[in-house]
Amino acid sequence: MDYTRQEMMAIATGREFKDGELAIFGVGLSMLAGFFAQRNHAPGLMAFTEGGVYGSTPVGGLPWGIEDNRISANAVSFTNAIDALGFLVASGRVDNAVIGAAEVDKYGNVNTTGIWAPDTEPWKVGKYTLPRVRLNGSGGANEIATGAKKYLLMVTHEKKRFNEKVAYISSPGYLDGGNTREKYGFPGGGPSAMITTLGILRPDPVTKEFILTGYYPFSSIEEIKENTGWDLKVAPDVQVIPEPTEKELENLRAVDVTGSLRKK
Amino acid sequence: MNKSKLITMKEAVEQYTYDGMYFGHGGALPVGSDCISFFREMVKVGRKDIDIASNCNSQGTNLLAAVGGLKRMEVGFSGLEVYGFANGLKRAVETGQTVLEDYSNGAIPIRMMAGALNWPFIPMFMNTGCDQQWASADDPENYPNTKKIPEITDPFTGRICGAFTPIKPDVAAIHVTMADIYGNAIMLGTEWNRYELSRCSKKVILCADKIVDTGVMRQYPNLVRIPYIVVDAVVYAPFGVWPQCSTGLYDSDEEHMYYMNKMLKTEEGTNEYLQAFGQYDDVFDYVNLVGQERIDKITKTDTAFLMDPYRQWIKTDAEIKELLERR
Repeated sequence: MDYTRQEMMAIATGREFKDGELAIFGVGLSMLAGFFAQRNHAPGLMAFTEGGVYGSTPVGGLPWGIEDNRISANAVSFTNAIDALGFLVASGRVDNAVIGAAEVDKYGNVNTTGIWAPDTEPWKVGKYTLPRVRLNGSGGANEIATGAKKYLLMVTHEKKRFNEKVAYISSPGYLDGGNTREKYGFPGGGPSAMITTLGILRPDPVTKEFILTGYYPFSSIEEIKENTGWDLKVAPDVQVIPEPTEKELENLRAVDVTGSLRKK
Repeated sequence: MNKSKLITMKEAVEQYTYDGMYFGHGGALPVGSDCISFFREMVKVGRKDIDIASNCNSQGTNLLAAVGGLKRMEVGFSGLEVYGFANGLKRAVETGQTVLEDYSNGAIPIRMMAGALNWPFIPMFMNTGCDQQWASADDPENYPNTKKIPEITDPFTGRICGAFTPIKPDVAAIHVTMADIYGNAIMLGTEWNRYELSRCSKKVILCADKIVDTGVMRQYPNLVRIPYIVVDAVVYAPFGVWPQCSTGLYDSDEEHMYYMNKMLKTEEGTNEYLQAFGQYDDVFDYVNLVGQERIDKITKTDTAFLMDPYRQWIKTDAEIKELLERR
C-alpha cells in the first residue's frame, strides 16, 4: 500500500483517540490526526481549539492557524483563551490532546522554544543565554502538558530531536523521571506516548523513561535506536504496528484535502 | 454614552501611543484577529522602545520587531502558526535587540484577568516546573530563576504553584469586527484575550473593520463584550487585520503572509517592504494599497454568512467620513 511516513504517524496518533473523549487539537498535523479520528472511528469525539472554537470541522483545506477562518466557518460557539485553555485544559478536564515538538527527551519533556549551541544550554551554564535559533515558544502546549489527563507527543523521528535532556523545557513531561513531576501540583497526568515517523514510545510506569513499544512495517528497532539520542530501551513485548487500512487512508485523505501529509 | 469617540488612525497613534510605552494588542493571533494596521501606523511614525504584553506574535509585532521598535515582549507564542517562524521577531531576538520573556498562551490572558481585577498576583500551575519559570530574559544571570514566577504553597492544600504578576498595559489597541462611534463592540470568531485586555489596560483604542449604528448593539447586547465604558477611542480600520484574517469578512492572504514574512527576514527586505506597503495617507488610501484584486480574493470567505445579521447597520465610507468631519 502506498502511504507516507507522515500519514502513518497521523493515523497512529488518531488511533489513540476514543469516541466520546474531550480533546484539543493544535494547528497542523495534530489537527489532521484529530479530525481523522473523528471521521474514522470516533464520531463522538468532542473537539475544540485553544482559542475557544467549538464544534467545527475544517473547510477549504488545512487551517492556517487555530483561529483561522477555515476552522471558524461552521462553529457552534466562539469563546476565548481563558475559557478553552483555562477552564477546559489547565483545569484538568480534557481527556486527550496532541502536541508537537522540535526536541524531546527520554522523560517526555518538550522543547519548542529554541536551539542552543552545544554546552550553552541554560541548565548547563546556569544562566539564560540567547538561543542560537529562536523557535516559537510554548503556545498552548504548556496548558496541555500540565492540565490534560493524558496527551500525545507527535514528533519527526530524527536523532537531533531525540536527546537525553532537552535544552529548554517549554512543556513539562516527567521532568527527571520517577516521581519528580509530582512535586508540582499539575492536575494533568503527563504524556502517554510519543508517536513518531518511525514508531511509538511509551513511558515506563515506574521510571517514566520512554521505551520503544512499537515500530511500523517500514521501520525497524535498529533504525529507531540509531535515530534516538539516548540509549533507547526496547519493551519485551514490542510490536509491529499495523499499517493503515484502506478505510483509514481514505478517511485521512478526506481530511487532508491539500495533501500536506503526502509530501515525501 | 452620547459622545463620539471616533477618531482617525493617525490621531489615535499620535494621541495615545508614545515611545517606551507598555502596550497591549489583541486578539494577538498569528493568523486571525489583530490590529495590524495600527502597528503599521506606529511604524510609520517611528514609535520605538515599545514594551509589549502579547498573547501571541502577529504580523504587527513581527513588523515592529523587524524595524527595531520592539524593546521587550512578554509572549505565549512567537511564531506564525502554519506560516512558520516570525522572521522579523526571530531576528530581533537572536541579535539581542528584543528581550523576549516567555509565558504560555493560557498564562498571558489569565495575567491580564488579574490585571483587570487589580489583584496583586495570581496563582497558577501552568508555566511552573519548566523553563518558563526557571529562565528569565529580564534576569538572565539567575538560573533557575526564583523571581519571575516565585514558587508559593497553596495555604489550603499545601500544593506547590507559581505566583504570577498581573498585566496592566498603559495602552491597548484591540481589533473588533464592528464598533459604534461610542465604543460598543462586537467580535466575530474567537475573542482570544480581548475581553480581559479591554479591562486591564489604562487606555483602550478599538480598531474596527466596520463602523455600525448603535441599533445593532441594542439588538444583540449579549454579543457586546466590550462596552463603551472601557473604551477611549474608536478607529475605522478597514482591512486592518490584513494579511491575517478577520472572521466574517476576509480570509488570510496566503501570498502576502509569506511575502511579508520573507521580507522581514532582513533589514534591507524590511525597508523594501515598507517602501511598497508602508506609504499611504489614511485608511481609505490604505485600502487602495491593499488593492481591489486582493480584496476580491480574500473577501470570498466561507465565513461571510456570519455577517448577515448585521449588514443593515453598517456605515458606508461616505457616512464615516461625514462623522469624522462633523466632530
